Amino acid sequence: MASQYTREVSYRIFAQEFRDSNLSFKDGSDQYSPQYLLTPTGAKINRMFIVGTLTEKEDIGTDAEYWRARVVDPTGVFLIYAGQFQPEAARVVAEVESPQYLAIVGKPSTYQTEDGTILTSVRPENIHVVDPATRDRWVVETAQCTMERINNIDSNHPDAVRAKEHYQPDVSIYRKMAFDALKDLNSG
Amino acid sequence: MIKDISKQIQERFNQKGYTIPDSEIETRLDKLINEFKVPAEEAHRSVVNFFLKEYNIPREDFFPAQGDTPTVQISDIDTDNKWVNIRAKVVQLWDSEHESIDQVGLVGDETGTIKFTKWTRADLPKLVEGKSYLFKNVVTDSYEERFSIKMNRTSQIEDINDDIIEVELVPTVEISDIDTDNKWVNVRAKVAQLWDSEHESIGQVGLIGDQTGTIKFTKWAKSELPALVEGKSYLLKNVVTDSYDGRFSIKMNKTSQIEEVNEDIEIGTTEVEFIGAMVDIQAGSGLIKRCPECNRALIKGVCGEHGKVEGVYDLRIKAVIDDGRSVQDSLLNREISERVTGITLDEAIHMATEALDQSVVIEKIKGEFVGKYYSVSGPKLDRYILVDTITPLGPIENSEIEAIIAQVEV
Repeated sequence: MASQYTREVSYRIFAQEFRDSNLSFKDGSDQYSPQYLLTPTGAKINRMFIVGTLTEKEDIGTDAEYWRARVVDPTGVFLIYAGQFQPEAARVVAEVESPQYLAIVGKPSTYQTEDGTILTSVRPENIHVVDPATRDRWVVETAQCTMERINNIDSNHPDAVRAKEHYQPDVSIYRKMAFDALKDLNSG
Repeated sequence: MIKDISKQIQERFNQKGYTIPDSEIETRLDKLINEFKVPAEEAHRSVVNFFLKEYNIPREDFFPAQGDTPTVQISDIDTDNKWVNIRAKVVQLWDSEHESIDQVGLVGDETGTIKFTKWTRADLPKLVEGKSYLFKNVVTDSYEERFSIKMNRTSQIEDINDDIIEVELVPTVEISDIDTDNKWVNVRAKVAQLWDSEHESIGQVGLIGDQTGTIKFTKWAKSELPALVEGKSYLLKNVVTDSYDGRFSIKMNKTSQIEEVNEDIEIGTTEVEFIGAMVDIQAGSGLIKRCPECNRALIKGVCGEHGKVEGVYDLRIKAVIDDGRSVQDSLLNREISERVTGITLDEAIHMATEALDQSVVIEKIKGEFVGKYYSVSGPKLDRYILVDTITPLGPIENSEIEAIIAQVEV
């Protein structure tokens, strides 16, 4: 039977929390099982939605085009990599001039360096140019989503339990991050 | 398991006045089942036959004479492997799919209907659709929790001349009443949506609704039933309920029937609103072609039901809206799509003709809509909101931000 496939939610994560994330795993054992990244506040993400400012872009590909873009939110930087397997997204990156507000739907990806540090980046599914109002709305929404997760961190939800076990997060840091992001918006 | 079967067998023989030691029955059963891996049912049979021979018991003596067999109503049949008599009318005869089956179909009485199978080897008279009979010594059976009766060599069939049996055919139910699977029902409903079939075994799939709600339906390709048309109302007879992941659906198979009804059944729905970012516009959006006969969207110019046809253009948007917590599929029909994009169907056709590519329309819509925030509202049908209003969200108010800051500070 054709299964009733459920689409993964696009989580809202600030760059700072995304950078702090390093627990990546598969749900299930076969090769098609989805890959997840668990963040310190307990978001188990397979897809994310980001709105930020493109500050730099560079074609780091040798043969084919392979774009690395830096997209900034009030808390830090997301690294976005788009190549031949993300043709639509790569085309947008190739065409836009920085700075520009971009909305990105993508998959989290992790890379382990030689010294064992885990770096996170985003593999875009689609990228679109948006206006400042959309960016502001994203900041507010992401602050709210982050606060909801922080408020649930002591619950017995399996993702919260696992996040606490792995990161032993000081959630006050993320509370302050969300608060500062909102403040920044209000003064600007 | 062996103990149980052994006990059953012994009781049967006891009733007839023959005493057979437990141990003997158990030894034989154990050998068949454990040593020779014979299925329990077959072992049961084999042991009974063995002792009939061994003790020289006439078969007629042992197998239920009709006096013993209870006459039951169809709704009373709730166990398998029971000998019963029933008075019933032949409601439907189906095509036998195997030479070992002489006739197969549906019989019914005042309490319901049940499938019957008449074995070729039973050598019984031919049953005629619409006629009533007394079926003696038939045995009950079950398959995937559905009961049936089998007519074999010990069964007898007698005509009932007066057609007294008023068959309670399959009950006609409302959609909200469907709460068990594997039940045969009739449903009066309107086709709310046809979806794209994802498998060749599925003729049509979509959503039907009545006053009480909506439910998914699947019409198997093998059912050879007429095509359902979106927006039309039907009496769907003899459909089977099913469930998957706690959600119910109905299946239409070879024994189902479809009758169009004249009335326009109103679909009861709940109006919902959803606010979030549009994170994707799915394939099958923008300028599409539909089959002129059944209205389903063509895939590469081919209709799943009617093959290659001259399609009729339509405009629609299948948008995925997401608020970071849950995903909401949203469907914008031609009218709403035209209004929100400012592209009329004719303009869309023109764009596609200029570019020699139908996909320019979806690309243009994606470029304008994906990544931005919207509020959509409309009736919710299954996993879709059928959007009747879509509003882009403007700049967020400072007061709103302040209210949220106040919450965070606590």
